[in-house]
Amino acid sequence: MKRTSRILITLCMPLLLCGTALAQHSGPYVGAFVGGNSLATAKSTDDQGAFNLEFKPALQGSAVVGWDMEHNNTLGEGRVELEYSRRSNKIDQVGLLEGKFKGSGSLTMDSLLINGFAVFSDKTFWAPYFGIGIGVARIVADNLQVTGQPLSNDTALVFAYQVGAGLDLILTDYLSLDLGYRFLSSTKPKFKEINGRSFETEYFNHSAVFGFRVGF
Amino acid sequence: MINLFRAGIVMLVFLSGCGSETPTHPNNFTPLTSIKIVAVTPSIAAHTSIKLTAIGDFSGLYTRDITDQVAWASNAPTVADFANAGSPGRVTGQAPGVAKLTATKGNVTASYQLTVSNATVTALAISPVAPTVPKGLTTQFTFTGTFSDTTTQDLTYDVTWGSDTSSVATVSDDAGSKGLAQTHLVGSSTISAKFYDQAPVTAVLTVTAPQLQSITITPASSTLLSLSTVPFQATGHYSDGATPDVTSQVVWSSSRPDIATVAGGTAKTLIEGTTSISASLDSVSGAASIKVTGGNLTGITISPANTKLVKNTTTRIAATGTFSNGATRDITALVQWSIANPAIATTSAPGVNLAWLTAVTETPLSTPTKLIAKVGSLTAETNLTVIAPLLSSILITANRTDLTAGTGDRFTLTGSFNDGTKQDLTFSSNWTSGNVAIATVTNTAEVSKGRVTGVAPNVTPVTISATYGGITATMPVTIKVRTLESLEISGPANITSGKQEMFIAKAHYNDGTQIVTEDAVWTIDKPNVAILADALNQPGQVVAVDSGTATLTATFGGKTQAVNFLVP
Repeated sequence: MKRTSRILITLCMPLLLCGTALAQHSGPYVGAFVGGNSLATAKSTDDQGAFNLEFKPALQGSAVVGWDMEHNNTLGEGRVELEYSRRSNKIDQVGLLEGKFKGSGSLTMDSLLINGFAVFSDKTFWAPYFGIGIGVARIVADNLQVTGQPLSNDTALVFAYQVGAGLDLILTDYLSLDLGYRFLSSTKPKFKEINGRSFETEYFNHSAVFGFRVGF
Repeated sequence: MINLFRAGIVMLVFLSGCGSETPTHPNNFTPLTSIKIVAVTPSIAAHTSIKLTAIGDFSGLYTRDITDQVAWASNAPTVADFANAGSPGRVTGQAPGVAKLTATKGNVTASYQLTVSNATVTALAISPVAPTVPKGLTTQFTFTGTFSDTTTQDLTYDVTWGSDTSSVATVSDDAGSKGLAQTHLVGSSTISAKFYDQAPVTAVLTVTAPQLQSITITPASSTLLSLSTVPFQATGHYSDGATPDVTSQVVWSSSRPDIATVAGGTAKTLIEGTTSISASLDSVSGAASIKVTGGNLTGITISPANTKLVKNTTTRIAATGTFSNGATRDITALVQWSIANPAIATTSAPGVNLAWLTAVTETPLSTPTKLIAKVGSLTAETNLTVIAPLLSSILITANRTDLTAGTGDRFTLTGSFNDGTKQDLTFSSNWTSGNVAIATVTNTAEVSKGRVTGVAPNVTPVTISATYGGITATMPVTIKVRTLESLEISGPANITSGKQEMFIAKAHYNDGTQIVTEDAVWTIDKPNVAILADALNQPGQVVAVDSGTATLTATFGGKTQAVNFLVP
């Protein structure tokens, strides 16, 4: 319980940094986002050495349910939300000692994060925001192959975190569009290789998202 | 809000601190599809060998030398076989004929047809014939054969190597290092190589004196105060593994002599900056870096100022430097002292940060002479007047007269003269103890003159005497045994680089406290952060060198206490 309280306080900390301008909406909301993401080249290691996984950019989607903090809230203006997102990036190349080789398969992350965003509203129709999120993610190494030969087909559960920033475009008191950037990362997932070994890899994802939120 | 976004960007950069690195993992995923066997020649003479190399082709994507991973085989071992443990792929011709050699890995196989000819040896040669090698180094011999079919072959692997003086040099006959000679002692040895049924061929290996290979300077990297003098050591690394001290043999130089000079291994820092000092010998050199901190000297202050001294008395003088970074520290050790009129007084500097001024001749009050301190191009001066009044009385004073055994305290002798002058005569008087088994008093010309040290506890006070001008003053002293409960250090938490600060050690006894700064043994753990000013003449004083945190430790009476301080 104490740990949960700390997490909630951490998530709400960005709200302390913004002013107490009039909010366009307070109360519950739902939203959906789509966008493109780029998964950074991942340094991977097993007991035979280091190798690099390079990925292709891909689309992503996410859904949120949250709460807009009311005006004059002691925590400041902003919102707290629960976000589910899914990103799936196909492997492009695998860098090994002898050079780069064609890879196939994909790395798919399903994440469930609690986000806290500070919103900087000045009564205009747009409002910038900034925030952080933490949660868990399930990463699937789906049929990873090097030159057609199997590398891994496994799943890992990891701690995930993200920072995000963007612009709210406020259309009505209950409807706003959102144009944002997200950086999502996680602790290193560990996957079993087909040959019995296991490897650790990195997960650093940059994404641009566009979506809407509807308040109630 | 802008600051918040800046913080966000910084956080992103931090979180994005990732990326690829040079891969070290071999591609074990892509299957081997073919093997190619490579040799320098398809034909060898009998009793000679050749090294075959297997190059694996992995699905046409890359190739890799897999000589030591394949299984080698011969279909005619009486013609050629692979009986060469320790050298995969090396095949030896046993008798004239043709052999099909194969390399197999998994289900991939390659073959190579090797012809063993009946050519006979016409000439043999060893190389080098007369090498000269410094003791401790190695040299590789090779052996070449010329055959009746005009071909030549490298026979280094096929001969038997030997040395006639193994104490001077040995030569390897092992499969992995055939012909490699190792030198051991200065001298010469005949190296022989025998091929099959031929007479041995020889070379003379001369081993010369060890060769200097590199020089290291210690410390390799140091941070020093400006206007300080620090010794460096040069160590030579010779081919025989010897590492003698070559400090006095090398030629020292500084890349920035305006920042620091070096001679005979002793560096003298001048101004702030970074320089590299090097030590060279026999075309070999080593280097060390020096970072000079503590500011540049901008001024000198003499203490005591406007000195008035009674004729034939001595006092301690000191110089404090003011530096460009605002720091001040004692620079007495660097000063050249002089008197404008040398007949009036003399100066001496018997120790680090210790200088004396002795009045010799009276000066008229209206025309004092000058005491001058000079460092480089900077000078400072102060008035010096020598008077000759008549001594009226003397008096010993002390901070305390009940000392603890094993500790000391400075006693002071003050003289009163008929013109009203009062002067510290501690360094000009003769000090004695009534019982040196109970307490001793320093009477030599050093900074601790007049310092009384308790030796053993007593019931009847011991008398400490000081004599000057025919008059003797006394002070009874009691020495007690006290139980030391703890040690305390007090001093500044922060010291500016180049500044000198005083720390005080206080002993807490069962019946009170006593300052033991001069009795404690002081150490600092990081000389690149701070150093002790002068353990003898300035105990407890610390000079900050460069940014960091250091720990100052005082040890006294079996107790140790440490304190951390910061150099910003």
